[in-house]
Formats: sequence, structure tokens, C-alpha cells
Amino acid sequence: MQNKTNLWQFLYDQLASLKLTVIIFLLTAASSLIGTLLPQGLSFEQLGTQYGPGLASWIDFFQLDDLYHSSWFRFLLLFLCLNLIVCTLRRLPKTIRLLKHQEQNLGPEKLTKFSYHSCLESKLPWPEFLERTERVIAGEFAPLRPVPAAEAYAAVAEKGSWTRLTVYLVHLSVLVILVGALLGSLFGFKGFVNINVGQTVAEARQVRDDRVIALPFQVRCDQFDVSFYDTGAPMEFRSDLTLLENGQEVLKGSLLVNDPMTYKGVTLYQSSYGSRLTQAVAEFTERDSGRIIQVTLPFRVPVALPGTPYQVEVFEYRENFHSFGPALAMGIFGEGQQPTGSWILAKVPDFHGNRVQDFQVKVVGLEQTPYTGLQVNRDPGIWVVYIGFSLLLLAAGVTFYTSHRKVWIWAAARAPRNVLYVAARTNKNSLAFEQEFHHLRDRLTEELQAQKRK
Amino acid sequence: MRSSLLLSITTFAYLVCALFYLAGVVFRKSSLLKMGSMIGLGTLILQTAGLLLRWWESYQLGYGHAPLSNLYESLVFAAWAIMIVYLVLEYRSKQRTLGVFPALFAFLAMAYAAFSPSVEEKIQPLIPALKSNWLIAHVITCFVGYAAFAVSCGISFIYLLKQGRKKQANPHEKGLLAFFPDLRLLDELNYQMVIFGFLWLSVGIITGSVWANSAWGTYWSWDPKETWSLITWFIYAAMLHARSVHDWRGKRVAWLSLIGFACVLFTYFGVNFLLSGLHSYGSM
Repeated sequence: MQNKTNLWQFLYDQLASLKLTVIIFLLTAASSLIGTLLPQGLSFEQLGTQYGPGLASWIDFFQLDDLYHSSWFRFLLLFLCLNLIVCTLRRLPKTIRLLKHQEQNLGPEKLTKFSYHSCLESKLPWPEFLERTERVIAGEFAPLRPVPAAEAYAAVAEKGSWTRLTVYLVHLSVLVILVGALLGSLFGFKGFVNINVGQTVAEARQVRDDRVIALPFQVRCDQFDVSFYDTGAPMEFRSDLTLLENGQEVLKGSLLVNDPMTYKGVTLYQSSYGSRLTQAVAEFTERDSGRIIQVTLPFRVPVALPGTPYQVEVFEYRENFHSFGPALAMGIFGEGQQPTGSWILAKVPDFHGNRVQDFQVKVVGLEQTPYTGLQVNRDPGIWVVYIGFSLLLLAAGVTFYTSHRKVWIWAAARAPRNVLYVAARTNKNSLAFEQEFHHLRDRLTEELQAQKRK
Repeated sequence: MRSSLLLSITTFAYLVCALFYLAGVVFRKSSLLKMGSMIGLGTLILQTAGLLLRWWESYQLGYGHAPLSNLYESLVFAAWAIMIVYLVLEYRSKQRTLGVFPALFAFLAMAYAAFSPSVEEKIQPLIPALKSNWLIAHVITCFVGYAAFAVSCGISFIYLLKQGRKKQANPHEKGLLAFFPDLRLLDELNYQMVIFGFLWLSVGIITGSVWANSAWGTYWSWDPKETWSLITWFIYAAMLHARSVHDWRGKRVAWLSLIGFACVLFTYFGVNFLLSGLHSYGSM
């Protein structure tokens, strides 16, 4: 049992150590650095061609190609949070003790050790001497609170003691933001869907794992428009959408970049656009006989090639294939045969590679339909994140621009002159406070002059 | 175009301003420093006029956007922000000797914007992703933060120079460096600039985040610029912690401020030119 508590205490101490903070911090920074230098989200094949198979497998093993979503990076962030929490928990009681601290044994010896201190003397009679001191300090700074002292009068005045706590709110706000992010990733989704103009969809695909997400409504794309400036730069991407529930129109609107649309907690964003192949018309020339066969090929539907034992299918389409313009991936397959296929360049009919098996292929027609690409999100944590953001700014501002300032006095009746020791301390912005203290000292000196009358 | 003329004058005026500050320090003449301040203030007003004019001109061209949309405009704004942050600091602290570095930085930013062939000077229309009111909030807050860090970097240079010289057994400080404020004040001003910059950088990152969420539905996507701004934020956060928890002062804080500013520069330029991502229009 004893050992167990020691182990816990040991772990707790380690978590609270600044050394750990520095190590995690450096590790996080270094991995973020790798993440910005190494292209993220490449496929294993792309990695292989770029870095060679050996390095690529290491990159893949450490998930460096998707670093920010890797479990070890998340673990690092979690560790940073734990460290933040434990450090805060360790310091908070000290701060509270400091705030509750009862002053004891105040005396000239103690007060003259402060970096701001001063000793004043006055011939004023004791009651008036005290009364004036209290009045000046209350007026210039804050009311005095007497504390026990032997054969003397001692008191404390302070301002902004609560501001010692706002730094904990800053730490709390970081945690609030991370909790919001966690809520979003646990209970929300980030999906993507392409909708042809005129088409209605009711589901999207999760960006992360390609899982199908059913939406609580249907989306129809009525129109998609891209407009350009005369410089050729894009001016606006606009999708006119209609949202439907059980066939009933419930919301109609235009979706623009920077102007999303929200319904039932799901937000749609204009994300991309393009055109999709619906069907292609192609001529197949048989190499041996020179016979030409023309067929219409709907996208991703196998079609029989008349007069041959083969079937043809267009299974992929690229709008711009290695800057050679549109290209179609076509496959030809016969009964019990391995399909063979190739990329056919639609706008370069003479390209020698435009052939599959024994056929030279020429694309004579492409029928396309424009589509709009939407990001579809639900993020129940977003408001938590925003609350965290606001709290962070507010608390950081207060923490930076306020300070805890405290003034101590110790006064004693002496002959021929009464003495007053004043000392002060602040936790921040000491130069400005130095001015404030000097002003206070000068005002006291002035007021405590015996000849001065009210 | 008239705004480009005003901005060209601004470029050289900042150089003149920096030279006056330098001469004031070298010859230990307050009158020269005062001239530096006057020229700095005058140039700032001129530049403000230039920026407003450029804004108006963009409406004349039919684009209509604040002059904060590409690398050229951000460099001009960076120079403006550095000078206004510095002049406010100068006014409040009554220290004119710190002006050399800010004025020099402002000149360098303007000169780079004007003379680099890779920086497009023409007013360009806004691409859809930038069409948002968040653009103004995000760019202004980030650059006010960067400007404060630039001023802090200048103060740190002076601190390290002065502190290095002091060590070489020179008890009755004379020479050029004696004219600068004492080390304690330099440290305090440095700290003031860092907390100011840190606060604005935080607002900048947050406005960027909120904007990204309304444009793309993701408030954080680990884009290189985001990541680097976070690294910068961490470095200054570390410095603030070292100062308040471990009572670091002076030299170490000055070094951290220099490292922090190197990160700012990398976030600003390095990411634009070396890495690609959401902010790639920043290099246009």
C-alpha cells in the first residue's frame, strides 16, 4: 500500500514538473514542424515514389503522413493537457493560501526588506497622525485593514487580489476549447458530398473514413454557378439548394463560400465544384480488320461491344489528366478473362496509348453534368469551443493588464516624532507600481507635516 | 495611380526616419531623435492616406475590398502596424531611443513590398474564400500582434547589446549604449510589448479559426500557417510562464523574444514560400 501511494505520488510529481512541460512542448513543436514540412495525406504509393519504399514504410509506420490525426500526436496533446491540469492543481492551493494569508509579526525589520519601502516621521499628535495616514492611503490606494501588532499599529491595504486567480481561468479556457473539440469529434461528423445539378441526395461520406452518413433531410441542387472577374480569377461559387423533408421543401437558399447554411444542426458549406461524366461515345477500331465499332458508354456501366465477345466499361474519369485534358479509364473484358484497361485521352485522339487490347480507341463525345461539392458538418462542440475562445481572450486580457498590489504600514508612537513605515509589493508591472508607490509616499509626507492644517 | 505614389514616398520616408533615429543615438542628440519621431509620425499619416486611397481605388476598379488581401498589401500594413505600435509606445514611455529598429523594420517591409519581383503590387479582386468581414478582423489583429513582436525584437537587440557591453568591465557606462534606457526599463518595455503582442496574436488566431469555420466548416485544420502561428504562440506563452513562474528577466527573456520573432517571420514568409496550404494566396 505504501509503495502504491508512493508510485502515484511519484507520477503526480512527474506530471507536475516543469521539465516534463518543456519536453512535451518541444516534442509537440518538433512534430508540428515535421507535419508542416512533410506533405500530409498522401497515399502510400505517392509516398513510395517520392521517398523510396524504405523511407516510405517508416513514414507510414509512424503515421507521419497523417501526423496530426495519429494516435501518438493525440497522446502528446493529451499529455500536455494532463500536465496543464496537474500544474494548475498544484499551484492553485498556494495562490489561495497566499490570498488568505494573515499578516503576522509586521515590523520595521520586515517592511524594510521590501523592494519598495519608506520611513516617515511626523510631529503630529498620535490620533491625528493615524487618522491622516489612514485617510491618505484609503484615498490614494485602498482602505486599510488593521492587523495585530505588539505595541504598535499595523495595517494592510490591497487592490486586485482576485486578479491572481484569472490566470487559472486562462488555463481553464484552454481545457474548455479542447473539450469542445473532443465533443465535436465524438458526437459530430465531417462529411462530403458531390451533387449533380438537378440531383437530390440524402447522405454524405465521412471525410475521415469514407463511412456513409445519413442526413436528417434531403438536399437538391437546383443550380450551380461560377462567375469570374475579367482577370480570370474566380469571383463567386454559388449553389442554389433546396432542402427537403419527406418530399416537402423546408428551406431554399443560395450557398456561397463564407456563407454556409444550417438546418437541424447540420451545416452545409460550399467547398468545391466540377463536372462529372454521365456518358461517353467512343469509336473502337479493331486492329486486324480495321472495323470500326461505335458505342455509347454510360459512366460505370458495362456495355457489350457489338460483334465481339467483349464488354467495355468506363470506370474512371479525370477532367484534366496530367494536363492532357479529359481522360477516361476504360476496361475491356471477356468471359473468364482478366480485364485489361488503359487511360484514353479524349482530346488527343492520335496519342499512341489510346488503345485497349486490340482496339484503337477514339472518344467522339463526352456528356457531362456540373456538380457542386459540399462539406456537410455537424459539430455539437462548436459553442463550447467558442465559449473557450471568449474566456481565453477575456481572462488573458485581465491577467495581463491587472495586478495584485499590496501596501503594508507599521506605525508607532515615539517621542519626539511618531514613525511610520510603509512598504509595498506588486506581482506585475513593477515600473508602473513604482510610480504609484512614490506618489503615495509623497502624499503621505505632505499630509504628515505638522504645520499643515486641514 | 496615386496611392502607389504615396506608398513609394512612405518607403523612403521610413528610411529617413530610421536614419534620424540612428543619428540621434550615435551622436547622442535628442533633437535628432525628435526629428526621427516627427518624420515617423508624418510618414505614418501619409501611409494611412495611401492605404485609404488604395481602398478607395479598389472600389473604383469594381473590386471593393480593404487593402489587406495579398502579400503586397499585408507588407504595407505590417509597416504601418509596426510604426503605430512603436509610436504609441514611444509616446507612453517617453523613450525615443528605441526607434531605430521599428523604423528599419517598417522600411524593410515597404522596400520588400515595392522592389521584390515576386510581390504583385496591383490591386487584385478577392477570391471567394477571402470574401468575408473576418478578413479585416483577422489580418488586422494578427499584424498588430506581429508588429508588437517586431518592436519587442528591436528592444531585445538593444538589451542584449547593452548587457553584453556592460559585462566588459565598463563601470561608468559611456558611449553609444549609455544613451539607451537602463536595462530594467528595457526589460519592462519588452515585457509590455510581448503581452500586447500575445493578446493580439491570440485574437488573430481565434478570428482566423472562427473565419475558417464559417468558410470551410473546420476551425482548425493543422494547415502549416495555423500550425506555425500556434508554435509562435507557444514560444511567447513559454516566455510569459518563465517570467512569472520562474522569475526569468533580462537576457533570457530577450533571447526568447528573438526566437519568438524568428518564428513570426517564418510564419509570415517561410510558410508562404516553402509550404503550401490554405494561406497560399498570401504569397501572391
